[in-house]
Amino acid sequence: MRRILIVDDAATVRMYHRNILEAAGYAVEEAVNGVEALEKALQAPFDLYVVDINMPKLDGYGFLRELRGQDFFQAPAIMVSTEAESSDHQQAYVAGANAYLVKPVKPDHLLTHVKLLIGVAA
Amino acid sequence: MSPLLEQFLSEARDFLQGIGEKLMELEDAPADVELMTSLFRMVHTLKGNSGLFEFPEMTRVLHAGEDLMDAVRQGRVDYSKELADRLLDAMDFVGMLCDEIEAKGGIGATHAADSARLAESLRQLIATVEGAAAVAVAVALIKTVADVAAADGRPLPLADIPEDVRMNAYRQACDGAVLHWLDYAPAEECFFQGDDPFFQARGTPGLLWGSISARQPWPPLAALDAYRCALDFHLLSAAPRAELDEYYRYMPDQVRMVPVSPLALALPAGDPNGGPVYEDFVVDAMKLLDAGHIEGLGRSVHTLLELSSPYLWLSSALRWLLLLMELAPEDRKAFGTLIESLRHLKAPQWADHELDGTANTAASTIAVTAQESPLTPEEAAALQALVAVQREILNLPVAASWQMGRIKGVAAALSGCLKASGDLAAVPGLEAATATALEEAATAPLLLWLEGKFEQQPKSAVAETTAVATALATGHEVASERPAAALPVGAETEGDTKLGFGRRAEDVAAGPKSLKVDQTKIDRLMNLIGEMVVSKNALPYLAGRAETVFGVRDLAREIKSQYAVINRIAEEMQDAIMQVRMMPVSFVFQRFPRLVRDISRKLGKEVNLVLEGEDTEADKNIIESLGDPLVHIVRNSLDHGFELPAVRLAAGKPAAGTLTIRASQESDRVVIEIRDDGKGIDPMTIKRKAYEKGLIDEAALERMSDQEAVNLVFASGFSTMEVVSDLSGRGVGMDVVRTAVEKVNGIVTLDSEKGKGTRLRLSLPLSMAVTNVMIVESDGQIFGVPMDSVVETVRVPKSAIRTIKKSLATVLRGRIVPLKSINTLLGLATAPKANANDELAVLVVRLGDESVGLLVDDFRETTDIILKPMTGVLARLVAYSGSALMGDGSVLMVLNVKEIL
Amino acid sequence: MAIAYKKSLATFSDVVSVEEAEALLEWLQKKTTARVDLAACTHLHPANLQVLMVAKPAISAWPNDAGLAAWLATALKN
Repeated sequence: MRRILIVDDAATVRMYHRNILEAAGYAVEEAVNGVEALEKALQAPFDLYVVDINMPKLDGYGFLRELRGQDFFQAPAIMVSTEAESSDHQQAYVAGANAYLVKPVKPDHLLTHVKLLIGVAA
Repeated sequence: MSPLLEQFLSEARDFLQGIGEKLMELEDAPADVELMTSLFRMVHTLKGNSGLFEFPEMTRVLHAGEDLMDAVRQGRVDYSKELADRLLDAMDFVGMLCDEIEAKGGIGATHAADSARLAESLRQLIATVEGAAAVAVAVALIKTVADVAAADGRPLPLADIPEDVRMNAYRQACDGAVLHWLDYAPAEECFFQGDDPFFQARGTPGLLWGSISARQPWPPLAALDAYRCALDFHLLSAAPRAELDEYYRYMPDQVRMVPVSPLALALPAGDPNGGPVYEDFVVDAMKLLDAGHIEGLGRSVHTLLELSSPYLWLSSALRWLLLLMELAPEDRKAFGTLIESLRHLKAPQWADHELDGTANTAASTIAVTAQESPLTPEEAAALQALVAVQREILNLPVAASWQMGRIKGVAAALSGCLKASGDLAAVPGLEAATATALEEAATAPLLLWLEGKFEQQPKSAVAETTAVATALATGHEVASERPAAALPVGAETEGDTKLGFGRRAEDVAAGPKSLKVDQTKIDRLMNLIGEMVVSKNALPYLAGRAETVFGVRDLAREIKSQYAVINRIAEEMQDAIMQVRMMPVSFVFQRFPRLVRDISRKLGKEVNLVLEGEDTEADKNIIESLGDPLVHIVRNSLDHGFELPAVRLAAGKPAAGTLTIRASQESDRVVIEIRDDGKGIDPMTIKRKAYEKGLIDEAALERMSDQEAVNLVFASGFSTMEVVSDLSGRGVGMDVVRTAVEKVNGIVTLDSEKGKGTRLRLSLPLSMAVTNVMIVESDGQIFGVPMDSVVETVRVPKSAIRTIKKSLATVLRGRIVPLKSINTLLGLATAPKANANDELAVLVVRLGDESVGLLVDDFRETTDIILKPMTGVLARLVAYSGSALMGDGSVLMVLNVKEIL
Repeated sequence: MAIAYKKSLATFSDVVSVEEAEALLEWLQKKTTARVDLAACTHLHPANLQVLMVAKPAISAWPNDAGLAAWLATALKN
């Protein structure tokens, strides 16, 4: 089963994304900040990362830069944030994101991107 | 408390519960690897979570637990009951720490010693293999990951696979299988951990072929360390990726899986036989191909094949050509590529074939990989946007330390896009471009590949994404403006598209199926529907007024018929909201396996727990109120009901007793039955003890039936008598159970047979949200009386009422029923009013086992109300259990019968 | 014993476990013209396989188990 890591400090957002992804058949894990996400990714790389920007300890940009600095399988990453400014998009791509979605993400929209980036539906 | 800490605590409790359950399950299936892994993961995550806070006491114990589970999972330590006990102890300790954090915001230093002791007891169980080896494993692991990563992007040595195997694989791919090449590089130390990677490799699902190679050049025989794994395994599998992932789930870091496009397998091999001398054949064959004369081409291929030795490179190429003609007849371009390869006897460059592939190739690819679902218009639009974003990323300035990762990320994203659109054949080309990009540490090769694969998009990527996002949000069709070559275009509407392509309907339907909702939101809905029910009840009054006051009968009739409609909808809505509040009894039942196990082990008893009807549902409040009474009952049964194994054997029963907890629904009530096959209750003992303690008099002693005697255990005051509890096998706190159950309008009954066992039955309402009340009138006011306590309504002639010792009473069906005036009970001075026949209205209510008659002025209708508890100062009026708004806007006070009597 | 040693022939049978590798290694270090008979072997732990790959004894019989034979051929032939 494809493993997806949801990185977000808001439990509600994690739950929301988890519900969507699990219902579609993906295996979902969660991390509450960039540090935890990095720890999890280092144990076993995921097939996709869904990452929030503003988080304590290590934010989404920082996490992606660290992740992309590692020498292992590099899964695609989706950055999810409430900011819709194009400068934010740009910054996310610089950090290593492969897509940028604005919160709240509609379930179908999220699933479409996940399917495309992972390569298969669930 | 910070929200994170709150989240942690609630999550921790879930984990502890889960860990407990998994340990129980593991007891029945100690070899279940999956259970073990999920157990490990839970302990692990919990530890990880605790590490986010300053709770060293908790983290220490969890860390030890994690290490222990890891050892068990890897087979270094055997699962044992003792291990389960220690882990459960440790989890109890963690649970206690959670309680303390919740109460005090932190952990007292006093727990440090306990924490150290528990951690030590867990670590003792971990075998001696540990220590220095652990470090070595970690180092080796990192190395392997690096190796695998370095291997990324190199062309696969598919030619190593024998031709017949490749052909077979190609056939399977044409039948819908997805092929994967696996490189499996086991950790050097894996032999010490009891692993047999060869066995693992041989068992790979969908295995078509496998080979073994040395990781490095071998040392001389004398210097060989046979116990360091220096082997790499390479496999070709036709199993779905999910199955492979599952099979290798413990070693994702040691396995690299690369999808193999079927065409990539078409690699002719064999004896060149003096070099390329088939120019004539190539020219003829290409002519036939260009003329579309496939049959002729087939014939001439067959002829040449028969004339040639099967070991020639030529024959191999011809065999592939025939196979392609059979299985992928549309892919003429591929035929051409194979034929052309005969000019130089060099394996065809299938990647190039894909690169300048036209609709022709794309179509055949999709046909070949029928399993891969094509995209919906939305997906196609998103795909275009994603590709544009990847291009933009590749054009970004170099990003120093994470540049390589960013390139790999883009490659992974593009690879996903290819696979999602069913374009598997293009994957090797992408991989080659990625490898070059990484080698040169430059994005140019990938950009070049992108240009070849996807036509340039004029707009900037950002605008693209936004446009698509907006379009999706508003339901516009972006795809129609921007059709991708390889995708099915032309579907008129979304609906048509979904129906048109089998699998797609499922893909789209995969939305969330469950949603967690805050209970307060449901409560708000409850209140709203309550108000709705009440407001709707105003309509019949309005109809009445229309007729009587304004004299418009037709309008009255219309209002009534409208009312009927609204009434039905309101009822259905109410029912639907109730359903939301329903939850399964398993919520309460899940704690029992652990409870029964722990207590029975402590008592030296053997008890099998049987749970039935766990998915029976009832209102959340009811379910939650069930918890404590049930625990009480089960504890009692274990303490006093079940005999020790030896005693049971002597009595001719099996050594292990059976405790059955069964839930079922009976009309509008949920019934929980707790049955044991223990020693039962001796009614004589109960009677004697009750008599001795003065709970019953001599007459009652004589008269009392066995059943009544047994029910004495529910009498308050009985519970305090230790002697009886020991003798009866029941009794401790049973009045507590009864009180708790009655609080939610439940009934508890008990029957028992000496020597055979005891059965307790709790009958509870399915829902407490709606109360059916009878409305009674007294002293010009109306009151509600809950119907569950009403036995009957009777009119008793004043002459039939007697005064016994200053109390009123009457005889109903041969039994004396005490009578109380509701006015007196509520402190009203007025006497009850009699009707024209000089009869008094008596509402007979049940009070435990007794019946009491309430004297009221008159009975009215019964009605469903939404009972609202009294709030503020009114809450102190215990005579009322709550109030309800009536349809005419008046307020109905609902009596708390038990309190006023 | 899953490996029977007789003069210069080692006969493998059934499943050859990891424990056998040590003895096999020692035996092969002593014998210069060793032969192994794998006909009755159904599986061997890779520790043993590594020893065979390095020592390169003559294979007098390949496993009857076709699957195993195919795997071993990739490691031991040539």
